[in-house]
Amino acid sequence: MFNPFPVVLADYRRNRLLVCVTLALIALAVAIGVAVIAQERALRQGSARAADDFDLLVGAPGSPTQLVLTSVYLKLQSIPLVSGEVLARASTARGVRYAAPIAFGDSWQGYPVVGTIAGFASRGGQLPPAQGRLFARRGEAVIGARVPLALGAQIHPEHGMHRIDDEDEHHEHALTYTVVGRLPERHNVWDSAILVPVEDVWAVHELPAGHAAGDTHIGPPWDATRLPGMPAIAVKPDSVAAAYGLRGALRTNESMALFPAEVLNELYSTLGNVRDVMSVLAVASQVLVVVAVLMALLVGFLARARQFAVLRAIGAGSRYVFCVIWLEAGLLIAGGAAAGLVLGYGASWLLSAWLAPRMGFAMPVTLGTEELRLAAALAIAGLAIATLPGWLCLRRPIADGLRA
Amino acid sequence: MSNSLTQAVFSAPPAAAIAPAGSAAGMLLARGLAFRFAGQTTDLFRIEHLQLAAGMRLGIRGASGAGKTTLLHCLGGIAPASAGSICWGEVDLCALTPAQLTRWRQRALGLVFQDFHLIDGLSALDNVLLPASFSAWQASTPQRQHAAALLDRVGIRTPTRRAGLLSRGERQRVAVARALLFSPPVLLADEPTASLDPDNRERIGQLLCDLAREQGATLIVVSHEEHLLARMDQVLELHTGTLEASRPDAPQAR
Repeated sequence: MFNPFPVVLADYRRNRLLVCVTLALIALAVAIGVAVIAQERALRQGSARAADDFDLLVGAPGSPTQLVLTSVYLKLQSIPLVSGEVLARASTARGVRYAAPIAFGDSWQGYPVVGTIAGFASRGGQLPPAQGRLFARRGEAVIGARVPLALGAQIHPEHGMHRIDDEDEHHEHALTYTVVGRLPERHNVWDSAILVPVEDVWAVHELPAGHAAGDTHIGPPWDATRLPGMPAIAVKPDSVAAAYGLRGALRTNESMALFPAEVLNELYSTLGNVRDVMSVLAVASQVLVVVAVLMALLVGFLARARQFAVLRAIGAGSRYVFCVIWLEAGLLIAGGAAAGLVLGYGASWLLSAWLAPRMGFAMPVTLGTEELRLAAALAIAGLAIATLPGWLCLRRPIADGLRA
Repeated sequence: MSNSLTQAVFSAPPAAAIAPAGSAAGMLLARGLAFRFAGQTTDLFRIEHLQLAAGMRLGIRGASGAGKTTLLHCLGGIAPASAGSICWGEVDLCALTPAQLTRWRQRALGLVFQDFHLIDGLSALDNVLLPASFSAWQASTPQRQHAAALLDRVGIRTPTRRAGLLSRGERQRVAVARALLFSPPVLLADEPTASLDPDNRERIGQLLCDLAREQGATLIVVSHEEHLLARMDQVLELHTGTLEASRPDAPQAR
């Protein structure tokens, strides 16, 4: 049993600057790799989670990506409208739990007002309001968790997405919604949406409201002859089999049906390629940094050959001297890799916090096996390569080292 | 007396090849000792017979390049001799395995270098205790007390000070204390005063001789400084590969 740490720590103390720079370089190289991988996964998981509420999306023929971005992420753009007949057909098709129109265009102080049905607001009963209740008649609204309104508050929606602070400016619709419920947090952009009966949105834009005159009920069943067009329909199928059947049935000349997850997959494969390129770059930079650091350490050890020869001369065994050299190099590399893991995680976490409001969904940052493998591989490679200077030092006769 | 005490306290492990520290272990007998650098056709030196009673002080002088340091390294088991045998007491250095030789150097040999060779980042006390860490996780309490006493003996009053912050004279005194941690029967010094100022030369020379006497250790000093050699019982000169009795004259004044 022996204790090489006094010498290791003393050498670190004497070369404080070199130790700090070495640790920082390795940590940064690892952090970049870790952040790239963790961030990409966070983005992928976050966006996929946001799409969970939309099993099957139906819209007018056009760009699938645009349809997904507009409805899932509320990146509101004007997209072609799908006709009301499609909604009527989807609502009554077999295997459909609900088919919800998604109608937007209005807002309140920057919070989008989305017309839909109560079934969608509660995601088919999966998402009961955290406070209050769902809207049950026209003029009522259910708000997302992040909308700063109290239950019972009354709001006037405005057309478009601009904020109007001055209440006296009458660009707003002559319609008042009363907030009756608040939904639990979903960690995506729908937390800042105000959900109202779609009939109100249609009516306010002087469109037919989906039901016969005098009929005050909201939601399905619809009067197919009185349905206007809408940007998107969110369909919740009963089963996977039903989902594929419905997608086939709703792919017609006047409508397209798609699984958002599938569209996202295509995006991911593009994103994944970028990620691959970036992680190759990150790994390459890691290798370069480690090689440079090891060369610097090796030169340092050769310059200190005399110190190690003295240790052996005054009775240190070869295992002791080998351990000193191996630990001095290995601890720096392993420590740098560990610090890089933490740093990369932190960077990814900050990046996600900064990106989340811009992307419209929360990105859950986790450290996965891939990053751990990356850091571990670096640490292990470093520990393996660190045996080289120790071996070189021991090969040399002690007397030669003393003369150096 | 301090020898047998420290010996009992440190309880050197029963390595069969290594005789316990003591005066008998400080008796040198070298026969047919030769050293030749690899690739050379002549020996650097060849010493047929060198005998030294335990506790003696031997000075070795010689022109630079004569092989004084290499001879010292051979006697200390640092450089392997090309031929011959070196016995310190019962221990034949040439017959030890590398591990046994390492252990002998740790326990039975004290080394003092021209340039001190302390670990700058360690305190004076930790430098003295360093050889203990070659074979134990932590120095024992008696070892710590012994190290503190040694530092006190060599006149270091700030044992917690970093070695790198000490003066040259102080550093050499710490190095002397380090060499004596295990109370070795053999003390070898290679130009121990050559890189010091005159005051410290005197002091270190005195200290080495006094401590060797106190510990009952055999002292061999390689030096070209007459004032140091004058303190020795015997001075030999390494000249054209052989050890000769040194001319008794001391041409340089102190």
